[in-house]
Amino acid sequence: MAAIRTFVKNCQIINRNCAVLSPHVQKHGMSQYPSYYIEPVHKKEIQEDLIKSGEIQKLAHLPTKAARNDQSSSFRQDDLVNLFINYVMRNGEKVLARGLVEKAFENIKRIQLEKYHKCDDVEKKAKIELAPRVIFHQAVENCKPILALTPIKRGGVRYQVPVPITPKRSQFLSMKWLIEAAKEKDATMRFHYQLALELIDAANNKGRVVKRKQDLHKQCEANRAYAHYRWS
Amino acid sequence: MRGTAALFKRGNPREPVPFQEILPLKLKQRVSGKGDNTSDVCCIYEMSVLFACFKTHDFHQAPCSKEIDAFQKCYLNHLEKTKLKKEREARGILSPGEKKLSSRQINILLDKFPNFK
Repeated sequence: MAAIRTFVKNCQIINRNCAVLSPHVQKHGMSQYPSYYIEPVHKKEIQEDLIKSGEIQKLAHLPTKAARNDQSSSFRQDDLVNLFINYVMRNGEKVLARGLVEKAFENIKRIQLEKYHKCDDVEKKAKIELAPRVIFHQAVENCKPILALTPIKRGGVRYQVPVPITPKRSQFLSMKWLIEAAKEKDATMRFHYQLALELIDAANNKGRVVKRKQDLHKQCEANRAYAHYRWS
Repeated sequence: MRGTAALFKRGNPREPVPFQEILPLKLKQRVSGKGDNTSDVCCIYEMSVLFACFKTHDFHQAPCSKEIDAFQKCYLNHLEKTKLKKEREARGILSPGEKKLSSRQINILLDKFPNFK
C-alpha cells in the first residue's frame, strides 16, 4: 500500500516538473530511468550518516532507481570486489568469474592461516593479515601506477611520452595487471590459486605486478625528456 | 632555354602590373576555430620533482608520498580547470578584462561589434 502511495506521489512530482525535465530526458540517452531518478543508497553506513545529518528527508520522496543485484547492505558487499569480478569475467560468464574470485579469497585465507599457525614468533604472528578482502584492497592500492606512457607522433617518429593518469585509470590498470599476472602461469596451476599468490605478494609490496609498476615508472623516468611533447 | 621560350610566348608582363580585386578587401566577420587546439602539457615541474625523488629512493613509493600527492593534485586541478573553461566557452560567457579569448568568444564579440563594411 505504501509503495503505491509513493508511486502516486512520484507521478505528481513528475507531472509538475514535466516542462523543466524534458531537455534532461532527451540528454539521458538509453537509460531505462529518466534523468531525475536518483541512485539508490545501498550501504548501511552511508544511510546512517544520511539519517544523522537529516539529509534523508530530502531523498525520501524522490524517485529512486532500484538497486542492482550486486548492490546490497550485506557486510560482505564490496564495490571494488564487484568491479574486480567484472574485470575477471569473460564472455559474460559472471557466475564463473565470481566463483574464481571467491575461490581465490578462500585460497588467500588458507595460505595466510597456514603461515599464521607455522609462525612461532608472537610479534610476527600478530602482523600477519588474515582477512582476504583487506589483502585485496592493499594489493590493488600497491599496484596503482602514477604515470603512464602514451605514443605521440612528432616529425614521423613515435615517442613514448610520460603522462599523468586519472585515479580511475590507475585503479583499472592495477586490477588488469593483477589478472594478467594470474593468467601467466603453469598449465597445472589453477587461476584462482595463482591469483591468490599474486594478491598476497602485491599486498606485501613485492612480486611481479609491483615490479611491473616500477618498470613502468622507470621507463617514464627514462623518457622524461619528452614530457613536454604532450598534445591533445 | 625552355624557360626563356615560355617567357616569349606569354609576352612580357606590362609594368606596373594592373591590380585586380579577386576577393573583397576586408576582414571576415568570423574567425575559424582551428587555432584553438592548445597543448595539454601540465604539471611538468611536479613530474620532474617526482622523478628526482624516485631516482634517489630507487623507485620506492613510500618515501615519495608527498611528491606523489602534489603531482596527482596538480593533475586533478588541471582537469577541473580545463573542464570549467570548456564549459564556459561552450556557453559563450564573456568576463570583462579577459586577455586570452577563445574563437567562440571572439565570434560572439564580432557578432556584437562587427567590422566596418
